[in-house]
Amino acid sequence: MIKVLDPNLIALIILTAIFIASVISIRFAISVAIIEIAMGAIVGNIFQIQPPDWMIFLANFGSILLTFLAGAEVDPKVMKEKFKESMLIGVFSFAAPFVATLLYCHYVAKWDLKAAEIAGCALSTTSLAVVYAVLVETGLTKTKLGKIIMASCFITDIETVAALSILFSDYNWKSFIFIAVSVVLILIAPKLFPKIFKKYEERAIEPDVKFIIVILFIFIYIANIGAGHAVLPVFVLGLVLSNSFRQNIVLQRKLRTLAFVMFTPFFFMRGGMVISFKELGLAMGLLGILFGLKIVTKFIGVYPFARKYLKGSQVYTTLLMSTGLTFGTISSIYGFEHGFINKTQFSVLVTVVILTAVIPTFIAQKFFHPKDTLDFIE
Amino acid sequence: MWNKILIANDGSEDAMEAVRTGLRLAKQLGSEIHIISIEEELPLYAATVGEVEEAERESNGYFQKLNKEISEFAESLGVKPIMHIIRGHAVEKVVKFATDEKFDLLIIGFMGHSKIFGRVMGSTAQNLIRLSPCTTLVVKVPLK
Repeated sequence: MIKVLDPNLIALIILTAIFIASVISIRFAISVAIIEIAMGAIVGNIFQIQPPDWMIFLANFGSILLTFLAGAEVDPKVMKEKFKESMLIGVFSFAAPFVATLLYCHYVAKWDLKAAEIAGCALSTTSLAVVYAVLVETGLTKTKLGKIIMASCFITDIETVAALSILFSDYNWKSFIFIAVSVVLILIAPKLFPKIFKKYEERAIEPDVKFIIVILFIFIYIANIGAGHAVLPVFVLGLVLSNSFRQNIVLQRKLRTLAFVMFTPFFFMRGGMVISFKELGLAMGLLGILFGLKIVTKFIGVYPFARKYLKGSQVYTTLLMSTGLTFGTISSIYGFEHGFINKTQFSVLVTVVILTAVIPTFIAQKFFHPKDTLDFIE
Repeated sequence: MWNKILIANDGSEDAMEAVRTGLRLAKQLGSEIHIISIEEELPLYAATVGEVEEAERESNGYFQKLNKEISEFAESLGVKPIMHIIRGHAVEKVVKFATDEKFDLLIIGFMGHSKIFGRVMGSTAQNLIRLSPCTTLVVKVPLK
């Protein structure tokens, strides 16, 4: 076993793993995030490498950038079009698993309240990206079914980031500074920021991208002094900029390149490095229960509304709404980093999150794919 | 005899030879000619919408460029092929398309490149021959 490693060798191992993850991802058409988490778990368990400080720093910013991108990738038009249906599906898609997981973890598994709340956040999410890939693959994005599912995912995402922000903020008078600065930035962003993006979009030294990074760090800083969490304002900032982001393909690609090269690999790898195979092996029962709980409660929350608004595709819709990945991982890492959950709890939660990205998607596509998608074309 | 011809194209050297052969054959027979390209599957279980959108953009660009070149060649022959770009599993999609649209002849390249077809099931050509609902012509680039 390697005990003490040169920091440069650690960086080399981590970066090599990140590179190999992207090659595997392309070769097998599986999301790079999942391979990065797996690579992180291998590096962490086999080489016994703990994430160095520089990696934690990049990973933390990666989670904020992912949150911003998730907000910016929301299509407000779709959300407005299908507001009533998606609101009902989205609210219960979040609430049912959140409450059930929280109660189970606190009262049955005897986790403390904060740990149970982290579990509730991590397992109530729906992954828009996982769902979006399925809808594109099956040509359902322009259908009523696709639009309602995507809009419901947006709602669930918003609730998750709101829960994470509200539950884990330690309110004091400085919180008002955090809230006030956030509100001002969010209000001025839609008018002012696109002008800045436009002015600098052609420059090779990329002031437009640097500007976004500065803004995100302002949120991180003021959230820290206000003892809050930046995810909610950052997600809302992305949301209010989503129209301009969708129109500005150049900026969109530059930000994605930056995220995929410099930040998100460290975020997912770091998550994987904290997973302990040994602890996971001892908690397989809990893992199975939490996975089952998420699926069952998603059925309780989503199925009745899906049957009402998407008759014939209710199981398909419910299974897609049961997927999770990014916000589940973000919640778990946040919980671990702030000491709300321990290594075993983290390993269980992240593994359940990954399983919910894979298993419901597979079952939905294999057994419940809508037979005649034309029925849903508007 | 062959009124409706389908060419499966993955952009490999053999597949492009199949496209040229198919277009010439269609010209001679006066047949209706279709060319189908199967895009790579999108990354499963993506963490960001961006990852999916970028993968989609990459594969769209690849076949759109290829189809433009094919159109120019077809135009020089005086043939008008109908192009289809479909996403998914190569063998499954080509067989389904050929069956649903009732083609009389399927033309494929002998050996695709692993980028699109070969990756999925090993020998795509073999599987297409085995599962094709109609007569299948396999085209090889002549040995030099």
